[in-house]
Amino acid sequence: MSPTPDGQVRVLVVDDHPIWRDAAARSLTEAGFRVAGTAGDGAQALRVAAATRPDVVLLDLNLPDYPGAEVTRRLLAALPSVRVLMLSASGERQDVLDAVTAGASGYLLKSAEVRDLVDAVRATASGHAVFTPGLAGLVLGEYRRLAQSTAGQGAAAAPGASLTAGSATAPQLTERETEILRLVAKGLTYPQIAERLTLSPRTVQNHVQNTLSKLQLHNKAQLVRYALESGVD
Amino acid sequence: MGRQTSNTHKPGHPVRRPPGMSTAAGLTRGPWRWWQRDVAPAGGLAIQAAARVAVRVPVRRDPQTRRNCRNVTPMSSQLWRAVAVYRIVTLVYAAVWILRDETYYAHPLGGFLALIFMTVWTFVTVAAYSRPPGRKGWLIAADVAVAAILIISTKWIDTAYRINHGAPTIPVIWVASAILACAVAGGPWVGMAGAVVVWFGDVIERQQFLTESMIAGLVLLLVAGGVGGYVVRLTLRAEAAVDRAARREAAIAERERIARGIHDSVLQVLALVSSRGREIGGEAAELGLLAAAQESALRSLVSRDSAEPDTETGMVDVRSLVEPLSDGRVTISCPATPVMLPRPVARALSGATSAALDNIRRHAGGSARGWVLVENDGAGVRISIRDDGQGFPPGRLTAAASTGRLGVSHSIIGRIREVGGTATVTSRPGQGTEVELHVADP
Repeated sequence: MSPTPDGQVRVLVVDDHPIWRDAAARSLTEAGFRVAGTAGDGAQALRVAAATRPDVVLLDLNLPDYPGAEVTRRLLAALPSVRVLMLSASGERQDVLDAVTAGASGYLLKSAEVRDLVDAVRATASGHAVFTPGLAGLVLGEYRRLAQSTAGQGAAAAPGASLTAGSATAPQLTERETEILRLVAKGLTYPQIAERLTLSPRTVQNHVQNTLSKLQLHNKAQLVRYALESGVD
Repeated sequence: MGRQTSNTHKPGHPVRRPPGMSTAAGLTRGPWRWWQRDVAPAGGLAIQAAARVAVRVPVRRDPQTRRNCRNVTPMSSQLWRAVAVYRIVTLVYAAVWILRDETYYAHPLGGFLALIFMTVWTFVTVAAYSRPPGRKGWLIAADVAVAAILIISTKWIDTAYRINHGAPTIPVIWVASAILACAVAGGPWVGMAGAVVVWFGDVIERQQFLTESMIAGLVLLLVAGGVGGYVVRLTLRAEAAVDRAARREAAIAERERIARGIHDSVLQVLALVSSRGREIGGEAAELGLLAAAQESALRSLVSRDSAEPDTETGMVDVRSLVEPLSDGRVTISCPATPVMLPRPVARALSGATSAALDNIRRHAGGSARGWVLVENDGAGVRISIRDDGQGFPPGRLTAAASTGRLGVSHSIIGRIREVGGTATVTSRPGQGTEVELHVADP
């Protein structure tokens, strides 16, 4: 899980508010993480990340220079194995959704308790998605939006070329995934969901993870398609 | 502090400056003046730049009024260009008439000279009017005078027989370009004044005054000057209104941008106080709780979407009605895109949600938390409200209703049925309560 010999998870804390940055760094150190570095904006975060190669980046959604989604995309392009956990004070829905589809593996409000923050960093480091009820609601809504927009496209371009048909198909949730996401959005924990659906908590975790991966993959495909269409070969 | 830039200015979406908005430095840069020439020495660029940075004072006069006095808005330039095009086209038209009829003239050479003069005058005025400093009052007056004189010159150039039998004047409709210039420069009254002057030229040429054909001619000229001037004035006013609206919008956007930054900082501090306070415990924990409540209130205020119904469709975003119901104990989850419903239906849903949350506060136990999920499931809108309180045994709701305690049945189920939706309440002792509201899309 961690490249350091002492087995510590290395975290990069990115936030432009010094008080928050220091408080988060201190809480993480107290909880046994190693703070590999801190940064106050997106550009600095990219430089520090390239130099220190952290396991987890704790990233504020509202940085002065780039949107959180953009920083996430660049971080993952530079360090594909890094995991990004988003934090936001205002919880702007579209910003959160953009960051998560860009590849962030979880999202937490800044008002979360320190215990939740530590748990979330730990979960992120071990490759799990950190889903709040709010994020589950956003992801559900995004799948619905994609389904509707491609349905509209399909009707409009029914006799269209088969070339675009493949790339235009939106990812869909299975019935089970929808069920689980709805339960997450209604505040149930993974063990509670597992009990209710008589599944193992690990299976629930995998389903949740899947919903996010599909969205991220679709987003990546859309970006490639957009680049091709606008002539960036 | 600048942190708000990420919200409003994303790469790939360049900030558009509304028309008329320029930097203060740009406005102070006046026209070049000859007497300033010796002020700028060879190495003066840096000094000028420094001065421009230092003197970031707005111009002495409001740029808006200054621009209107000089008549240099983009729209007025377009109108002047239209006058120029009209003048050139009608010059060609007049030339065709003169070249066709010159053999019948009393003085064909006079006809040629008049055509040459018209051509020269056309180029002089088109060139002068193309730039704001050239749109002088005396030049426009001279323009009208030239038009009248050219009409009168017909009297010597053409034969009396032809004039009495309705032959056109030498400049034909080219004279209307002078009237249009009056209209564009000064509005309908100036336009009509120009029309009257040109008409008097006609009166002298034909030696007729209030005959039928002369009155018809006057009316046509007045219409050209009056309507032209009126339309010009309306256009310029509309342009000014659009300009003002764009400025106001830019000011509001700027204010919102700043407010977002401030809100964000306040949220950061409140979030920090609440989480550290709870960590430290004791009195600090109480402060932390207070901060948490304010943080939640401010967050829902900041992210709230407009609760105003769309005036065209009467639809309203359900999220905007449900979101204010969140507090430290209640989490609201919504899609990122609007969930639109007719206003009465949306109000019924939010009213029922509010009633369900009240129920949680009253019956679910002191430490119970609530979650609300707003979904657009393709067939309609579904709102689920769940708590982790003590719950109740099956059958208690109907028992409560039959003993006259109408709470849940009436305020939740009744409200939703009224707008044609369904509501279900499920609960098991120890496992909390779940209310699900559903209305079909209209």
